[in-house]
Amino acid sequence: MKEIDIPIEASVDRNRTNPLARVFDELVRFCRSRSMFMLHYCTGCGAIELPPAMTSRFDMERLGIQPMVTPRQADILLITGYVSIKTLKRVILTYEQMGSPKYVIGICSCTVNGGMYWQSYATAKQLDQYLPVDLYIAGCMPRPEAVLEGMRKLMDRIRSGEADGWKDYYRRYDWYLGNQQHLFGDDWQTPADVIGEASHYDLAGPGTEGEHTRLLQQCQKPLEPQQTFFQIGGSLEVKGESHE
Amino acid sequence: MSIQTLLMELVLMPLVAFVVGLFMVLMLRRIGAKLQRRVGPPVMQPLYDIVKLYGKKTQISHGWMHDIGIVMAVGGYVAAETLLPVPGMDGIADKGGLVTLVYVMMIPSLGLALGVGQCANPNGSIGIARALTAMLAYDVPFVIVVFGVAWYFGTTNLVDIIAIQQAGGVAGWGATAMPLLAIAGLFALQGMLGKQPFEIYIAPAEIATGPMVEMSGKYLGGLFVMQCFQLYTAGVLYVSLFLGGGENWLFFLLKVFAVVAIPMTVAFLFPRYKTEQMIRLMWKWPVMIGLLGLAFVMH
Repeated sequence: MKEIDIPIEASVDRNRTNPLARVFDELVRFCRSRSMFMLHYCTGCGAIELPPAMTSRFDMERLGIQPMVTPRQADILLITGYVSIKTLKRVILTYEQMGSPKYVIGICSCTVNGGMYWQSYATAKQLDQYLPVDLYIAGCMPRPEAVLEGMRKLMDRIRSGEADGWKDYYRRYDWYLGNQQHLFGDDWQTPADVIGEASHYDLAGPGTEGEHTRLLQQCQKPLEPQQTFFQIGGSLEVKGESHE
Repeated sequence: MSIQTLLMELVLMPLVAFVVGLFMVLMLRRIGAKLQRRVGPPVMQPLYDIVKLYGKKTQISHGWMHDIGIVMAVGGYVAAETLLPVPGMDGIADKGGLVTLVYVMMIPSLGLALGVGQCANPNGSIGIARALTAMLAYDVPFVIVVFGVAWYFGTTNLVDIIAIQQAGGVAGWGATAMPLLAIAGLFALQGMLGKQPFEIYIAPAEIATGPMVEMSGKYLGGLFVMQCFQLYTAGVLYVSLFLGGGENWLFFLLKVFAVVAIPMTVAFLFPRYKTEQMIRLMWKWPVMIGLLGLAFVMH
């Protein structure tokens, strides 16, 4: 896997005509930092430290952090531990379904550099090569104090506008996709149309499209309606079609 | 009443309902926190959540009906607020009456059903099927209660019902005159708010919050706003029927918050029933108590 350095573009500030625009931005950023819905993808042992962080001893809810159950509702994707290659596919699918602004937190040293799974053939070593990670909380495993400290750090970064990993995913999609293809093979595709989203929300950069996205377009298979089967009285009947 | 005051009341009543509803959501979460020996969220947390959700950059729509469904869900409750008299403001309550209010209160569930249907998510479909089943379950005792109260006071006009109760003092309250119906009403309230043990359609650990499963950004924000209205509507309706409405805002809010605190507190002490268990329970005990109360009232 070769490292490619692509300069990160500074965000282009559109001309805001509304004199209160900055006040609104400030308010929305503040609210974002004080209300974080968390989707915890508990893959490894780091999950053990989350219940104490959420329950009566440390109580994350006083910081406005609340667990949510579907990616659509969540703001933070919390990945707690090693990510095997099979898991990573699911993590990426989950991440692309979340609504922006979205933040990824890698907990435990396994997400930083593979940790004790460094020699494993089946784990992804560095999470930030496949997803834009906003914050790592290192440790094996980090104590709830460290998790909360990390969360506060993320809150500060959201309020100051520094936590913009989700923009980076749109701007440098080609690089992320290249790393994903390296692991999963050339025919890797997800249902989310990242390039389309990037251009729709005015976030496309020079790194959005490139050789890897061209490969994706070549290998892309159109999504077919999924057929739903219901087993009724022993015979298998096709009842209906759901499309997505 | 001049047209200006009427218009002002029609705008003010939902606004007041929203603000009071925000504090009810806060109370819900604080009660949960206290029962679990936690600190709980800060005072402005419900507002932060809603502003954040509306401030999301990507809004994932699943199509037309998805958009309209949310508008119907919130709009149904906004309409309901104008039919609920509060101290100093009657809105169109004396023109609408209890029957219209009960009818309008069903619109949000139907709107949600339309919107969620288009998301094509199996969890959402199961959730909405359960929500409508739950409505079928709690509506039977609810209608018995509403009928009993209307029979006792001889009118379906909420303004008159409140005036009759206030004229008699505490002894004239619906809860004193019809204690059995008040108890049945509490059951229906628990089901209407979808709180445990009747939380069959949210069920986060089982069907991933059911109707809310595909909602993100402002869609989820709309549902959060709807929740504020829902808590307020249920609380104020119960207070108007059984606790003499509000003489002034202080007592009114005290009563409403006390009524809404009951289902919240009960909720955190119970697990969740299955759908058929909920229907069996709802059609057995509250209906029996309600019919008994109705017999006393009509005797």
